[in-house]
Amino acid sequence: MTVLDIVFWLLAVISIGAALAVVFLQNIFRAALFLVLCFFAVAGLFITLQADFLAVAQVLIYVGAISILIILAIMLTREMWRGNPGGRFQLPAFIIALGLFGVMVWAVINTSWQISAELPLVPTTAAIGSRLFGEGGLLLPLEIAAVLLLAAILGAIVLVREK
Amino acid sequence: MLTDYGYVGLFLIIAILFAVSMPLLPLTLSLLGLVPKKPNPIKTSTYECGVETIGKTWVQFNFRYYFYALLFVVFDILIVFLFPWATKLKQLGAGAFVAVLAFLLILMVGYIYAWMKRVLEWK
Amino acid sequence: MSLKLELLTPELSLLIFALLVILLDLGIKQKKVLAGVSILGLLVSGGFVLTLWGRESASAFNGMFLVDPFALFFKLLFLIAAGLVILASQDYVSKFARFQGEYYALILISAIGMMLLATTGELISIYIALELSSISLYILTGFLKDPKSSEAGLKYLLLGAVASATLLYGMALVFGLTGKTRLTEIAQAIQTIPLTTLLDSPALLLGIILLACGFGFKIACVPFQMWVPDVYEGAPTPITAYLSVASKAAGFAVIARFFYTTFGVPDWLSLNWGILFASLSAITMTLGNVIAIAQTNIKRMLGYSSIAQAGYLMVGLAAVGVASMADTLGRSGLLFFLASYTLTNLGAFIAIIAISNKIDSDLIDDYTGMGSRAPLLALGLTLCLISLIGLPPTAGLIAKIYIFNAGVHYGLLWLVVIGVINSCISAYYYLGVVKVMWLGAPVSEEKVPSSWALRIVLALTCLGVLVLGIIPGKFVQIAETAVRIFTS
Repeated sequence: MTVLDIVFWLLAVISIGAALAVVFLQNIFRAALFLVLCFFAVAGLFITLQADFLAVAQVLIYVGAISILIILAIMLTREMWRGNPGGRFQLPAFIIALGLFGVMVWAVINTSWQISAELPLVPTTAAIGSRLFGEGGLLLPLEIAAVLLLAAILGAIVLVREK
Repeated sequence: MLTDYGYVGLFLIIAILFAVSMPLLPLTLSLLGLVPKKPNPIKTSTYECGVETIGKTWVQFNFRYYFYALLFVVFDILIVFLFPWATKLKQLGAGAFVAVLAFLLILMVGYIYAWMKRVLEWK
Repeated sequence: MSLKLELLTPELSLLIFALLVILLDLGIKQKKVLAGVSILGLLVSGGFVLTLWGRESASAFNGMFLVDPFALFFKLLFLIAAGLVILASQDYVSKFARFQGEYYALILISAIGMMLLATTGELISIYIALELSSISLYILTGFLKDPKSSEAGLKYLLLGAVASATLLYGMALVFGLTGKTRLTEIAQAIQTIPLTTLLDSPALLLGIILLACGFGFKIACVPFQMWVPDVYEGAPTPITAYLSVASKAAGFAVIARFFYTTFGVPDWLSLNWGILFASLSAITMTLGNVIAIAQTNIKRMLGYSSIAQAGYLMVGLAAVGVASMADTLGRSGLLFFLASYTLTNLGAFIAIIAISNKIDSDLIDDYTGMGSRAPLLALGLTLCLISLIGLPPTAGLIAKIYIFNAGVHYGLLWLVVIGVINSCISAYYYLGVVKVMWLGAPVSEEKVPSSWALRIVLALTCLGVLVLGIIPGKFVQIAETAVRIFTS
């Protein structure tokens, strides 16, 4: 077992533990904080995969921006103390989630994946740059993403402002 | 590259150990009886941690914060797209520049909209 | 890299007009102008679509952006639907007077999303285009900001997010297996994997199922129809109409292209998802029709009816799957049915908008005697309901014959029999509304007036329904050309 393996398992346990805490904690503010921890652990996992840009993007967007939005949204609510009450679908949802998990694991284990023999590219940022903007790149989804963000700005402002 | 992040990891581990040992140290010392424990009201009161709280600590935030957070998210995502472009600015050439310009232009309409609708003002 | 800008003109022009609407809204007091600008944008975009029609199929962005008659057909359909919805909103917008500009802009933006959805052949673009059309619709659903509308918007958003996640899982599995994001390359990669049944590659099996689930939400087939009644009831009625036709058509467009291109070869693979859609189709139409009978709110009833219609449409998908590469009838039947369904359902909703705007109720019981209070509206609604059943002389009949013919032709007789039985069941509740309107005693003698905009749109849709029903030849031809040249 190499150091990398140890780090991987550590991060995996932290991310799954944090994710479980998000689901099971009653206090939604604490749940949000555990979500941040989960995002951080995932960023760490990206680093173990040598995807440094992805890790930074994960920290920038998820830890930096999305978490702030979630926490602000929680702080805007008036009756935070009500917490996260369980519904009557808790048990069926749990069973279905477990079933889905089982199927996923079965599918992942039983498929013969093609594993690339190439070594990971380092550093990745420039490579991602030319993949996104270069010849045969992903310009189309990029521009659609801009329109998507515009729609999100419009929608958020319309829905929050008083009538 | 991984070794560089290894140093970050090492730093993190030391930080966590430090943070955990600081509150544990006085606790263990008092458990072992090395330090005397004689509490009185003045000693247990909050010390240099701000004023004592009155009422509930949970206050509802002004919803205007939400607009700022949302615009922050949008432009944060913009940065993530601009950064890889900037690293290869010269090689990518005019085509990519136009694409980025279009991207910025579309988002700028959203920004102008937010500005003109006085969403960014604090009243 | 040649950008081939002319291929992008329909989307690009519409985007420019959408931005224009947003910016004009900031300075203009007279909001009716914005509706005019939006309509103008749709017309310009439609004009560009027509100039591209009949040209050789081409692609831009290295095969990510496909311009073929199939895509152009759908683009025209979305533009028409968006235009009719904007015209039909003219009275309704007074309910959110302050946000009219945003309303029109979001309708245009979601139309762009749907157009892109019909035209892209690449996983990432498909996903983002889907999100673009969906997010605009989530916002539009909650536009009224009353408790019902907000609840509808929130429900739609949450369930839609789950569906998106499911879709992403499916895409991730397919991508992981093949290492490609372009649909044609995925198809080639799948053929190189030695497979005899789907069980040899559980990831592919799971990927197909999850993709079907994710897209199934968009077309609202059973068991992903849970959101439909609440969302249709709570959303502003023009948006309900838009959801029930354009959003659904976009879902069918992307499923038809995605599954046909990616999983069309080998035959046994195609057969697998053909059967999957056939069984979903049978459940969908039966459940939709049976529950629709019990509804008392006309928007909810049309919600369940649109689920049932999705069931009929899926007969076309099943035919595509079963016939695999040999298929022409399934896809052209799908296109014709979608065109007919779009006009019919829009017509029905426009009549409902006009009536409920005045009587301020969506209950079927309150439609009693509408035949004497608003004869023209009642006549239009009756025509559309008859077309939804599939009776002559309307488009619905031809569409059903066409799509059921495809089913029979490719050996799905059992499914077609279920479809015909279902059509008979559906006649019960559609004709129930007709009966209430014409034979019931009116609750008051007061006439139900309607604005000119609504009357014109209703007349247009009814005319379309009749033209497609009486002289379908030309349109059948268009549907057939639209699938013959299918760039992949």
